[in-house]
Amino acid sequence: CIMCIYITLNYLFLTVCLCVHVFFFFSVPTVPQQVSLSPNLETQQLTLSWLGGESTTFDIMILRTELNETVFYETVSVTADKISGQHQWNWTSVEPLECTSLSVQIRSRDGQTTSDWSDTHILPGMDLPSNKDSQMFPQDRVVSVGTNTTFCCIVEEGLGFGSIRYRDLVMNVTRLSRRSYAMTQINQGPSGVTGTNVFCSSDEKTLLNGAVVFVGYPPLPSDLVCETHDLVSAVCQWNRGRDTHLYGKKRKTYYTLNGRYFTHTHTHTFMNQKWSACSLAQWDGNFTLVARNLLGQYSLTDSSELSLRVRPVAPANLTSVVRAWNATLLWQWKHRGYDSLALICQVELTSHWHTTTRTFSGVGLRSVIVLDLRPDEDYSIKVRCGVQQNFWNWGDWSGPLAFRTSIDIPDAPDVWMWIERDNTGRLMWKPLTHRESHGQITGYEVTLWSPDENIQHTETLPQSICTVPINLTHISTTGSSSNKVIATVIAKNAAGVSPPASIVMPLRWTDPPAVSRTAYMDGGFPLSWQSDANASCGYVVEWHDASCQQDCAVEWIKVAAENTNISAQSENFQPGVRYTLSLYSCSSEVPQLLQRWEGYMEELVPSSSVPHLSSNQQDSNIKLSWGEIPLVSRRGFLLGYHIYLNNGSQLMLLANVSDPTSRSYTVKGLPVGSYKFTVKAYTSAGEDTGATVSISLESYNNILFSIVARVKKAFYPDIPEPKLAGDWSRTQGPLDVKPSPHSMVHIVEEPEWDSSKEALVVIPEEDEDEDETGDEPVDTDEPTSLRYYNQVIDDRPIRPRFPDSSASSASSLDSARTDVTYTGIQTSGNSLGYRPQMQPGSLSQDMASFGGYQPQCSWHLDSPVEAEESGGLAPSLGSPTSVASTQFLLPDSGSKEQPEGKGQGSSSATTWFHNLLSSAKP
Amino acid sequence: MADRRTRGMTGTEPSRTTAARAAAIAEQLHHECALLLELFRKKESLSPDLTVADGRLVTVPPPSSQLDTRDKLWRLHSALLQCRSLLERAITKEEEELGGAEKGDYQSQRKTVRDRLSLLLANTGELLKATDGTAVLTPSLEGLEIDGPTILFEVKLWIYRIFKELDYWTKTAITTLQGLPSVTAKERGRTTAVRRRRSTRR
Repeated sequence: CIMCIYITLNYLFLTVCLCVHVFFFFSVPTVPQQVSLSPNLETQQLTLSWLGGESTTFDIMILRTELNETVFYETVSVTADKISGQHQWNWTSVEPLECTSLSVQIRSRDGQTTSDWSDTHILPGMDLPSNKDSQMFPQDRVVSVGTNTTFCCIVEEGLGFGSIRYRDLVMNVTRLSRRSYAMTQINQGPSGVTGTNVFCSSDEKTLLNGAVVFVGYPPLPSDLVCETHDLVSAVCQWNRGRDTHLYGKKRKTYYTLNGRYFTHTHTHTFMNQKWSACSLAQWDGNFTLVARNLLGQYSLTDSSELSLRVRPVAPANLTSVVRAWNATLLWQWKHRGYDSLALICQVELTSHWHTTTRTFSGVGLRSVIVLDLRPDEDYSIKVRCGVQQNFWNWGDWSGPLAFRTSIDIPDAPDVWMWIERDNTGRLMWKPLTHRESHGQITGYEVTLWSPDENIQHTETLPQSICTVPINLTHISTTGSSSNKVIATVIAKNAAGVSPPASIVMPLRWTDPPAVSRTAYMDGGFPLSWQSDANASCGYVVEWHDASCQQDCAVEWIKVAAENTNISAQSENFQPGVRYTLSLYSCSSEVPQLLQRWEGYMEELVPSSSVPHLSSNQQDSNIKLSWGEIPLVSRRGFLLGYHIYLNNGSQLMLLANVSDPTSRSYTVKGLPVGSYKFTVKAYTSAGEDTGATVSISLESYNNILFSIVARVKKAFYPDIPEPKLAGDWSRTQGPLDVKPSPHSMVHIVEEPEWDSSKEALVVIPEEDEDEDETGDEPVDTDEPTSLRYYNQVIDDRPIRPRFPDSSASSASSLDSARTDVTYTGIQTSGNSLGYRPQMQPGSLSQDMASFGGYQPQCSWHLDSPVEAEESGGLAPSLGSPTSVASTQFLLPDSGSKEQPEGKGQGSSSATTWFHNLLSSAKP
Repeated sequence: MADRRTRGMTGTEPSRTTAARAAAIAEQLHHECALLLELFRKKESLSPDLTVADGRLVTVPPPSSQLDTRDKLWRLHSALLQCRSLLERAITKEEEELGGAEKGDYQSQRKTVRDRLSLLLANTGELLKATDGTAVLTPSLEGLEIDGPTILFEVKLWIYRIFKELDYWTKTAITTLQGLPSVTAKERGRTTAVRRRRSTRR
């Protein structure tokens, strides 16, 4: 239009005009017309459309209106729509389009030639002065994890901008306009349940506004599986897959199955995975699941015939018919189709936390008989089933059904016997366990029957009793000519009586065979034996504590006839205890003792030292003698004794007496001097702490004249022993002389030693320390310090029936105290009326503190009551002797004049005097 | 909000026990509200240094020293009723819009506060009934912004403000209930009793 006017008005310049016209016609593109802006606030996309003539290339410039900052300025190629002739181009803003006003201009370009810019078109932002409030954009945006999002805050009119925080992190911001500020969070991580908050605050830290962004994932379900329970409908379940981090009704994942939309799905967690399930009324062989949320969707498919996907429902309404040894279990099916369905069912049975599973099958199975139950037991039972053909999966378990089986008669008790040396016996049986009782045991019935005489005696016992004493002597002397009696035990409960358990008991004790040893290993004593032809019903292996003397705890085990070796095991075995294990054959006759063993679970060192250690000079030698360590103290098989020379600070091994039965050792070739000897018994575990005795060798004449004994207050009279005169080997008295201060080394240096002029002086020892501290023995009559013991003193009751009683009765004292002990002195048995040193009424107390010379009260039959009760069953003690005129009455031993714990001198003096009197006898 | 209360007979002195119990419940509720607010701020990363402007959501007649016991109680009861309506709506909206399936400390505390508020209301209602001698009418919730906003950030702020409002009214409840003549008299009675005991000892 301008060119035309130019030509018309300037005719004279036609050529120029033409040139201009030619230039215009070929080179100046059309200015874009009818520019329009269409914003998509959600996508932040701005659609520009315009009429641009023939041009296909355009320059597009987008500015932030308020600050006139260029946001976008590029040349783009856009072809016109063939029908409308419009050009259209989309631009996506980094910032939300509401953040601030944008000015848009477009011009056409043809090579280097451009048209004029189009008019400016403005997309108004929300920061216009008319919108005074503070605002933030975008709001409630849902984005994928890892994306970037730019937020802008428009500050309330009149307030100052402070900061924008993403969660609690203050961000760097860009100012977009007078009131608008923006920031970008890159690579966003997943949000929490309620989204991620962005806060915009004023310069006074007042919250102006904010936005929530939800950062998550599109759904990714897996493992779609459909099955049927009722043989008609389909139940499909799938793994929901990863957490989308999108919650709330607008953002959560929605599912459709075969096009059907499910507002609610049944959800459960299994193996830390969330599973959903939903149902379709009819089985449709092909299933398609579509999961959708605002970030995307995902499809899964599954297909199968119905018959291949049958998973039965849980059996319903379980009931039971209970008996003692079995129960019938019944249930119902919810669906009629199961009547013709071949089913396989598992029955899970739990009793005492032990679970077993049994399997049953049948068409339309709805009842089973569960066998092999135990009477009077609590059971919990549940059932689940699957289809036999085309087994797909087990159905759900039914609810548990609890019941208790009926009671039944008890099992026969396990019976055994125990015969003492005095032909008394015990009938024993193991208490029935709950499993053997089959109901609460109400009692036992014991019957003794002499087959020859056909005499029967029955006794009913309460259920707490499992042993009864039987006086076989009485039976054998009351008419029975048989040498056996048959004992029968039956257990009773509310259901009836058990089968009888019988054992044939001998009427007399039989001596045991030779004892061999067995070594404990692998949790038991391994025992093996030759098969015995008479053992028609097998063997019985019995064991007990070898040191036990009365009412011993006996354990036994019955062994089948075909077995000839076992490992005897018991949780009662203790280390250091000797056990006697006996093998009996079982037949219709009296059990025969075939073999006997002894063994320790673990050998220990002896718990006490040799008792009654004494020393005695024989010519130029010193004979050491000692007593036997009680069995209970040995704690292992004694292997021998170590003889040490004790110089006070160290022990020098003189000899190893490897014969454990040896009771003496003679030390030869010692010169005159003082010595201490320590004797230690040893087992495979080592030696005990040792007993020590001192001895001093001096001229015999010197002894008589140099002894200075001070008897301060009292003497213990010697029990007359006429054979002791001149026989030092049997009776030794402590002579109150100080040992020679010579050490061993010094003694060896003395060249001459006339044995005929030397005599033995025994100095009782308390221990090595006291030996060096006591320069002068202190006279005292205090009984507990005398250390004068008699060999047969024993404060334990006499147990004559026990085989080893003679051995064990020899000592009751703690030999670890290393006292000098006189083995040849007899105990006065008629000391009932002779206790001069005892306080009236203090007998038991003194007995309890037994540690001194108390021969008159050491016998337990001192108590008239006990003597009467025991019926004089202590014949093994020394025979009573009369009160001799040579005995001294002792004054009160508790005198305050006596220093405590200093009885050595008194003991020595008293004993010496005693010996002196004895030796003076013809 | 319109006053629907029926003025009736002259109020009697509220039960001492009920008033004391209500005051104790209010104190407990106030403590639980503070904890709920703290849990909410933590859950939503709302920095402690940011100030959230208060906005009253509960509307009741203005306080006045001229109000008698009955009116004070009614005002308190009405405000607490509105708080409960708002709280229940807030819980529903939060679970619907923001997802509340998880069972955490916040959800547990929110339930505790709701239950405690109901208990407090039962007690203030009982006090009102004892004072007024008539059944307690439910105050109108007309005008109450019960639906809340739609933009989720504003929903969160709305919920926060409801908690703050509840916090404010539990504080008010403590003051009001402890200031009731019965409670004051009880305290006075206790003080007198103590003095008597002391003087007796002398």
